[in-house]
Amino acid sequence: MPAKLPVNFFSTRSPVIDLFRGQLDYADQLRQDSEIVLYFFYAPWCGQSIAVREEIEHVASRLSDQVLFVAVNCWWNQGKCRKQKHFFYFPVIHLYHQSFGPIEYKGPMSAVYIEKFVRRVMTPLLYISSRSKLLDFLSNYEPGVVGFFEFNASPQPPGYLTFFTSALHSLKKDYLGTIRFGVVTDKRVAEEISLVHSGSVYLHRHANTSLIYPKDIMNFTAENICKWALENREMLIRWLRPHGGKSLLLNNELKKGPALLIFIPYNPLAEIHPLLDEITKVALEYHKCNKSQAAEAELQHAGDSDSPAFDSSVTDAQLKFSETFPIAKYPCCNTVVLPQWHSISRTHNVCELCVNQTLGVKPNKVHVPRCNFLEIEAALDSFYLQEHTFFQVISNTIECSNFLSFYSPFSYYTACCRTVNRHFLSFISSEKTIFQTPKVAFSSHGKKDNTQFSVPHIEDRNCFIPDLNISSTNITGLSCRTNKTLNLYLLDSNLFWIYAERLGASRSTHLKEFAAIVDLKEEVHYVLDQNQSLVGPTLENFIKNFSVLYSPLKRHLVDDPSVHFHEEQVVTEVTTSTFHQTVFLSAKNVLLLYYAQWCGFCASLNHIFIQLARLLPPDSFTVARIDVTRNDLPWEFMTDRLPTILFFPHQRKEQSVKFPEDFSVNLPNLLKFILHHSSLSSSEPCTKECLHKESVLQQGHISHLEREIQKLRSEISALHQAHDQLEAQLSEARREEQRLQQQKHTLEKQHKTLQLHSEQLQATYDQKNQELLEMAEKLQELADASENLLKENALLRILVASRGGKLQSKEEIEEPLQSEQTLSEDNDISLSTATAALEEKRIGSIDTIETEHSSGNRTE
Amino acid sequence: MRGPGAAMRRFLGPLLCLLALRLPASSGAAARGLDVASYRERVRAMFYHAYEHYLESAFPYDELRPLTCDGQDTWGSFSLTLIDALDTLLILGNVSEFQRVVNVLQEGVDFDIDVNASVFETNIRVVGGLLSAHLLSRKAGVDVEAGWPCSGPLLRMAEEAARKLLPAFQTPTGMPYGTVNLLHGVNPGETPVTCTAGIGTFIVEFATLSHLTGDPVFEDVARKALKALWKNRSDIGLVGNHIDVITAKWVAQDAGIGAGVDSYFEYLVKGAILLQDKELMSMFLEYNKAIKNYTKFDDWYLWVQMYKGTVSMPVFQSLEAYWPGLQSLIGDVDNAMRTFLNYYTVWKQFGGLPEFYNIPQGYTVDKREGYPLRPELIESAMYLYRATRDPTLLELGRDAVESIEKISKVDCGFATIKDLRDHRLDNRMESFFLAETIKYLYLLFDPDNFIHNDGSDFDVVVTPYGECVLNAGGYIFNTEAHPIDPAALHCCSKRKEEQWEVEDLMREFYSRKKTKKLTLKRAADHGEGEKAKDSQDASSEKPGEKRNSKKSSHSLLSCPSQSFNSKLAVLGQVFLDNT
Repeated sequence: MPAKLPVNFFSTRSPVIDLFRGQLDYADQLRQDSEIVLYFFYAPWCGQSIAVREEIEHVASRLSDQVLFVAVNCWWNQGKCRKQKHFFYFPVIHLYHQSFGPIEYKGPMSAVYIEKFVRRVMTPLLYISSRSKLLDFLSNYEPGVVGFFEFNASPQPPGYLTFFTSALHSLKKDYLGTIRFGVVTDKRVAEEISLVHSGSVYLHRHANTSLIYPKDIMNFTAENICKWALENREMLIRWLRPHGGKSLLLNNELKKGPALLIFIPYNPLAEIHPLLDEITKVALEYHKCNKSQAAEAELQHAGDSDSPAFDSSVTDAQLKFSETFPIAKYPCCNTVVLPQWHSISRTHNVCELCVNQTLGVKPNKVHVPRCNFLEIEAALDSFYLQEHTFFQVISNTIECSNFLSFYSPFSYYTACCRTVNRHFLSFISSEKTIFQTPKVAFSSHGKKDNTQFSVPHIEDRNCFIPDLNISSTNITGLSCRTNKTLNLYLLDSNLFWIYAERLGASRSTHLKEFAAIVDLKEEVHYVLDQNQSLVGPTLENFIKNFSVLYSPLKRHLVDDPSVHFHEEQVVTEVTTSTFHQTVFLSAKNVLLLYYAQWCGFCASLNHIFIQLARLLPPDSFTVARIDVTRNDLPWEFMTDRLPTILFFPHQRKEQSVKFPEDFSVNLPNLLKFILHHSSLSSSEPCTKECLHKESVLQQGHISHLEREIQKLRSEISALHQAHDQLEAQLSEARREEQRLQQQKHTLEKQHKTLQLHSEQLQATYDQKNQELLEMAEKLQELADASENLLKENALLRILVASRGGKLQSKEEIEEPLQSEQTLSEDNDISLSTATAALEEKRIGSIDTIETEHSSGNRTE
Repeated sequence: MRGPGAAMRRFLGPLLCLLALRLPASSGAAARGLDVASYRERVRAMFYHAYEHYLESAFPYDELRPLTCDGQDTWGSFSLTLIDALDTLLILGNVSEFQRVVNVLQEGVDFDIDVNASVFETNIRVVGGLLSAHLLSRKAGVDVEAGWPCSGPLLRMAEEAARKLLPAFQTPTGMPYGTVNLLHGVNPGETPVTCTAGIGTFIVEFATLSHLTGDPVFEDVARKALKALWKNRSDIGLVGNHIDVITAKWVAQDAGIGAGVDSYFEYLVKGAILLQDKELMSMFLEYNKAIKNYTKFDDWYLWVQMYKGTVSMPVFQSLEAYWPGLQSLIGDVDNAMRTFLNYYTVWKQFGGLPEFYNIPQGYTVDKREGYPLRPELIESAMYLYRATRDPTLLELGRDAVESIEKISKVDCGFATIKDLRDHRLDNRMESFFLAETIKYLYLLFDPDNFIHNDGSDFDVVVTPYGECVLNAGGYIFNTEAHPIDPAALHCCSKRKEEQWEVEDLMREFYSRKKTKKLTLKRAADHGEGEKAKDSQDASSEKPGEKRNSKKSSHSLLSCPSQSFNSKLAVLGQVFLDNT
């Protein structure tokens, strides 16, 4: 059957012109009508084409007055498009700016990104009219190229078209459009970036010196300018946008060294990106190795440009925090002494806790020496819930972190902690007043049992950690000072949140902001606590904490949140967070299976572990398992093969034993293994406890036996059932036999009657036979009689003949002559008819004379 | 030995590199997640569209002819599509129809027929289909007899069908003939040439049969055939395409992972998993090494001469697409994903996988342009999705649903695509469309299906042979996508001995501590603790003996843990090994 005929792909009401018969020639004609054309080459069966169709329609509905959208079915084999183009995938999007093109769009297939790109094709050059616009343009994190062209001399200054084309050309090479092109026409503005001559091109760089296109070395062509900009651009922070096909992008980037991946929701069409600006600032600071004046100025400008953004109070609620932070410049601070794990410890963790408020509870906070009580209490409360972070501080370095207040969305806290000597602390605290009331409030909020910890208390705000500075300028140029340089990357969390999830971002949060440092070489990654809001200072702290010699960051262990702890589960499912609890803190022997869902060898063992768990007494044994592809474990508990079976004997949990790999995993072997290793457990003399254990054990045995009995009972019942079944089958068979017997009887009877019948038949047969014989005899007689008659007849004939012979003998001489005459007459007749036929045919056709002759001859 | 391979790599290098440049076909990561539930329902609707038309127009023939709306016998005369689709019904949750069909099959199917049947196809489709239906019948609410899963009508049918195949194995080498007459055995003058897969694709069904029925003959012939193939591999460790089962001479010497060989490798792995058999696994690992060495180029697998290792055909075959799924089962997820992404680009180019695809030319091969709605790529996607949860794999599922519906759906079912270049159709719907393609698609879109059970659910069944834990997940799909429960194999024949052993150990477990404590007490009384030591030594001896007998293999039956970078290996990102 031939293929189905093509039909409309887009609805007829759509702003997209749908050439579903692949009329490429018509598509080319259409191109003359519009300055900007977008071609959408699709295949009607292609899932991706179908998915992108909506996105294209969306873009078309927004831009249809300026851009012509043409969809072409490039699959139908009768169509022109299929005959001329050879695509390996669908859909393919091509753009034309007048005659320039095709520019293939290869970015994310979502409407906003496509629209952004189309707009870039529409206006590849940004017109920069004033000094402030120039600074705006240059302060962006993405590299900018500025061309200076004076338009007053001629309608179009020399080189301008080339520059324009190079901007379009760059979109071909760099489909994400990271290099922005601007044009300056005002001489005074151009002087800002020391461009004097019309026709010069400038590439701005933040960390290194900016460049001017070397016209004398390279030809001034579009390709060259584009190449030059691509080669020399500065990528302080770059977007990663995996295209979805097979690619080594992350591999290549992460192989360069540790990378900070920042996930933020990004709308390419938005006018302003406050969070992005803030991250950019951090990135610039981080890379600013030699303090150049230019960079400073830009930074300030970038900072200033935030304020109007804030005033306009953008509606995007998700970005609320980040937008508002920059104006909070006057925090109030207090010092807190943290409780310790061991009260005998000689050191203390001391934190400087600051409240940064962003919206005007107190609008005139020019100088606040102390926080008011309520504020610091709220701060402490939020801070205390973060306590685990600070109990782990062990180094002398200062670790800082920011976190949001639990009470007010408009304030956040900064805590910088370090460990100080106890004497030093007591010396200080003796001098300073201690806030009593907050202390009480604080402990009331501490819900956990912390009797062994001393309650944290607040010290006076007078800073005794002299080098602690919240505004922390020491990130400036850090990338050059540290030997653990980070590469900074941005990912759009609307598109690539899955990577964040893989790195441990919480699935529950609706705020899709996340930052992680990934070190591929060391196979570790660190995560910025998601309870801390992703803002400049927290990022700075994160980077700083990574860069210091003894980093306080802890390897992040990804946990599987989908696992719910079921009490009734036979085999206990362990996760990263329950690992310690289930394996080490429980007072049971633990058999732990490391597995992965996809590993065939693991899944086929399920039934064995279930059986084992059902067999062992649950009050002294736990059979547990952990899916290690979804749950990271500390290095010492990692395993390189799956399945791996570990046994943690009660009371000697640190001496875990591994089930030998060369044994086959089955129930008897596992039992032997457990038996062997749990046997050593009790070597202490028998006390009450031992007796108790004994009784517990016996109890276990009894219940085991009971279970066994029950099992046997059910087995018996099953056997009974089988027996019944067999019985039923047997009786069925018997009945069948009986029936058969009966049938046999009836058959026998029938047989007898048949026999009788056959005898009768035989008799009749014999009789008939007899009759037949008789008949035959009679016939024989008749035959004989007739033979006699015949003989007589013959005799009579002979007699007659002899008589006749005598009569004819007289005419014998005349007869032979007569017969000869008749024969010759016959021949004459046949000859004459043949010649007559021949005559007729000769008249009909002369051609066939010869053959007719021969046929005539033959007849003759 | 690596010489020819390296040379070939050099020769093919430029071609493949060009291709690699073309490969990052931008699909664009889908901004929004796929609506999995709606695709699942579409797959369900596809199933019923085809299934109902089969019942209406083609039953009791083997297959539906979708363009003419009638039926035909293809592989025998066993209502093949119905047998093949039976377990798909259950996976889709249609219990009542499953029960009805079980009854229909019991009454309607007869194997005492004078038909020449393919040994391979009859095994994977009929025996496999009946076995899995038998094992799933309790779950489907069929009123099973008391001896289940060790007896039952469907099991008896499977056994009957398998016995009809046994005459084919009566050859000097133990390798079976390709065709057998179900009534008369091997026909005189039957060709002795059989493809490799036709010899090595029995262990899953036959071992299951042996374990369930207690008759070892099935597993024995299957193993013998596997060993004969192993013995006849070439010096560089490869097997060819066709072999003479009488003389053991290779007739077709192309070595690869696709047509003619495919399920042999598949069954080595699946047999190893199902039977916890190290020998089978070690065979596979040896082959795997040779395959990587000689046939793998840039994550494609080509065809090479089995003795020299030189490339004979630089093609990718539709049937090869099962390989990534197989790799994921043994833990080679990274490589699996890379190869899968290559294969996916071919799908994107045509809306299906051509039987042959010329890799350097990037186009179909003459006379091999068809796509009979094969399941292999979708199968791999299902396995890989289990391992990675990568949305790219769901995108393949989406593409498959869209393509199959747009291209091959006709009034009476789904028609084979005769030519992928223009999407002409052929009047055939193979039974694997309902047995495999639909099943894997549905399972891809139904992560909570009972087939994906990770061991958190299970059934306890009391049989006259003792108590069994069944349906605890880890189902092994035969090569026609019929799932076999590995737990069922431990339920019947050898069950009793193991149970007694376990009972003894449990007794020891409880009494041991008692005696130990008693001895401890005694030790306190009499000042000696030797008896405790004795008992310890006795127990430690047992494992010691075993270790000696089994020491050869080192954790062959295990997967490597995934590397750190696998966390980020989604949405098309691949990582190169450091090693």
